[in-house]
Amino acid sequence: MEVRYVSNSLEDTKKLALMIGKNLFRGSVISLNGDLGAGKTTFTQSLALSLGIEDKVSSPTFNILKCYFDGSMPFYHIDAYRLEDGTNANIGLEEVIEGDGVCVIEWGQFIKEMVFEPLDIQIKILDNNSREFVITSNFSKYDVIMEDLKEICR
Amino acid sequence: MKVLILDSSNTDLSVGVSIDNKIIYKMSYEAWQRQSEFMIPEIEKAVKETGIELKDFDEILCGKGPGSYTGIRIALTIAKTISVMSGAKLKLISSLRMFGNREKKFIALINARSARSYIGVYDHDQIILEDTILSNEEVKKYIFEHPDYEVYGDLNYLNLKGKEPMIIEGMLSFSSLIKEEENPMSSKPVYLKD
Repeated sequence: MEVRYVSNSLEDTKKLALMIGKNLFRGSVISLNGDLGAGKTTFTQSLALSLGIEDKVSSPTFNILKCYFDGSMPFYHIDAYRLEDGTNANIGLEEVIEGDGVCVIEWGQFIKEMVFEPLDIQIKILDNNSREFVITSNFSKYDVIMEDLKEICR
Repeated sequence: MKVLILDSSNTDLSVGVSIDNKIIYKMSYEAWQRQSEFMIPEIEKAVKETGIELKDFDEILCGKGPGSYTGIRIALTIAKTISVMSGAKLKLISSLRMFGNREKKFIALINARSARSYIGVYDHDQIILEDTILSNEEVKKYIFEHPDYEVYGDLNYLNLKGKEPMIIEGMLSFSSLIKEEENPMSSKPVYLKD
């Protein structure tokens, strides 16, 4: 199943993130992909907000994993970019991916075998302020999210 | 002989003290991702309640994995430090074997993620299957083919019900079968995914 959503503003992106966020559950995995500046971090911030997380969410490019525990459930944010060569990939990330909260993974292709049954979100840059979100689900556990999204997507 | 018993290899945090093979102090609770915060305070509490100072332990008994990547390193790092500083002997025990005891035939399991399990199989003092990683399908088959073995661990991820382990008792039970580490400074955890 696949839906597409065009965002013309930050507000639009927030609306989408809230719509997805309200249906997330413990064990949800979101694989987030998009070019530099596409808005992966912005989207993740809104997603975190929907779980009641007030801590500032910033990209874990250096840290690889950041954990947020002040929301309705644990929120894990992984940036696997620095694991590209695979040498340092074995650091127990699978414990938070298949864990007790929501996990958002950027550059998941570098730790493919650990990204467990994800909801795929691809962000494409259309122009300065517009983005297209392509949301793909191959797992029935995300059906509620996908059904809800049909209301605002095409 | 005074033994300090430590484990944080899975989701729990366990600290115990035994004198001449008798447990005189133990605590164990779920502390997933917070074991590093609580381990030292819990050891301090054990020292205070038993009146045995850290330097007076003859032996440290510690879980070595497999299990949580960070978890197995927390207890081991602390155990190594105490051992090196005080000269206490260091013994490391499989974090699967500690689920049972020397009176039992048992299969011990921990979720290794990606549809796999850490599994170790033990029959009294014998190791039937050395700790390893198997696919969950293989594990289910193994359990089915060995109905005379008790199954230990949190098995919700397999939709099965496992027996709850008694960590401190289990560790102490196997202690006499285990050789002390010759060079505690270089002791390493067992992760099995390396």
